[in-house]
Amino acid sequence: MSELQGSEGTTQRLPVIEKAPDQRDQSASAAAYGPPPVLEGGAGGGARRFWSARRIPAAIVALLLLLVAGIFLYDIAAVRADRPAMHWRRELARQLAEPPLDDTWVLVGAGVAAALGLWLIVLAATPGLRGVLPMSRTHPDVRAGLHRDAAAMVLRDRAMEVAGVQSARVRMRRKKADVRAVSHFRELDDVRADLDVTLTEAITALGLARPPALSVHVARTTRKKG
Amino acid sequence: MLRTVNRVLIGLVGLVLLVVGGAVLAVGLGLNPPSWWIHDGKKDVLLSDAERTRWDGEGWWWPTVIAALALVVLLTLWWLTAVLRRRRLTEVRVNTGDGEGALLRGRALEAVLAGDAGQLDGVQRAQVGLKGRPDAPETHVRLHLEPHVDPGTALNTLTEEALAHARNSAGLDSLPAEVRMTAVKHKAERVS
Repeated sequence: MSELQGSEGTTQRLPVIEKAPDQRDQSASAAAYGPPPVLEGGAGGGARRFWSARRIPAAIVALLLLLVAGIFLYDIAAVRADRPAMHWRRELARQLAEPPLDDTWVLVGAGVAAALGLWLIVLAATPGLRGVLPMSRTHPDVRAGLHRDAAAMVLRDRAMEVAGVQSARVRMRRKKADVRAVSHFRELDDVRADLDVTLTEAITALGLARPPALSVHVARTTRKKG
Repeated sequence: MLRTVNRVLIGLVGLVLLVVGGAVLAVGLGLNPPSWWIHDGKKDVLLSDAERTRWDGEGWWWPTVIAALALVVLLTLWWLTAVLRRRRLTEVRVNTGDGEGALLRGRALEAVLAGDAGQLDGVQRAQVGLKGRPDAPETHVRLHLEPHVDPGTALNTLTEEALAHARNSAGLDSLPAEVRMTAVKHKAERVS
């Protein structure tokens, strides 16, 4: 508590709701045992996806636009200054003026341009960062995301701790955790029941805003142990 | 901010490409365009000489074209530099409470926060970057987690210890943080 509120001299009002102190106590005591309780107010906000800044597509589009506009500007200015137009511009004008619209190459070009445009629109409108799962908020200032690989690895480690599991593979999707385990002793049903319990706990402990559904498959190892 | 700019501009360029490409494709495949459209059938060309030189004789045409191109060049230049430049916060203004302020070097706060976070149980390594404005800094934290710790617990200790410590020691009302967690790659251990 004292760390959060500051020492006497620099006590500060934290920008949290009134019931924050209670929740602090709870989460502080719960911290030793498992994931913290979720802030009620922030639960909805914490569920928002992370939105990528789209730096790389933006840099590429900006660079291409800059090059095209720059070359045209240079050549047009040169022509204004009574120099001959560059060869490519006359060639381009000819290419634009000669083939009819149902020419194959015109159609291919138009199709490519339309597909590229559609892709850019998709890039602009979707959040991206599909590999980052939003975690539930425990503090109004903190937004956290867990990489899918990390979540899968945690689940795999927890699955390996169950007695009878020889190996486990986890495919983490955005809404579903697909666990495939190979068992080398114990009844399969027992192993599966234990895995269900352990992994449900492990998924809660991931602290995700939208915990994925769990699906567990257990198979017997093909080689019987002598 | 930059995120919005990037997405709006990418969307605009995409829209132009889609409309032009789609229209040429549609007309070229035999669709009848409305009378006001630039192409009037599939035997038309993309841009005829007459269309290209339509305003050639007018006095305003070339200055307008040059001005528009110059504008595009300047805008894309600004966009490109904004995208490529990684803005880091160099200084944080600390409120000392007596009406005077102090400046804290951003790198120092980053180093302290990264050190603090790296000491936490189950965190192998932490990377910290500061963003935002000197009087309202924000931080980006990347944690590399060890196998035994639960991510929810790690987030909780990070919030309550390292981030709270940094916030209090810099005298900030709030320190918004964006945390990403990855795991240290390791082999599965066999329990039997």
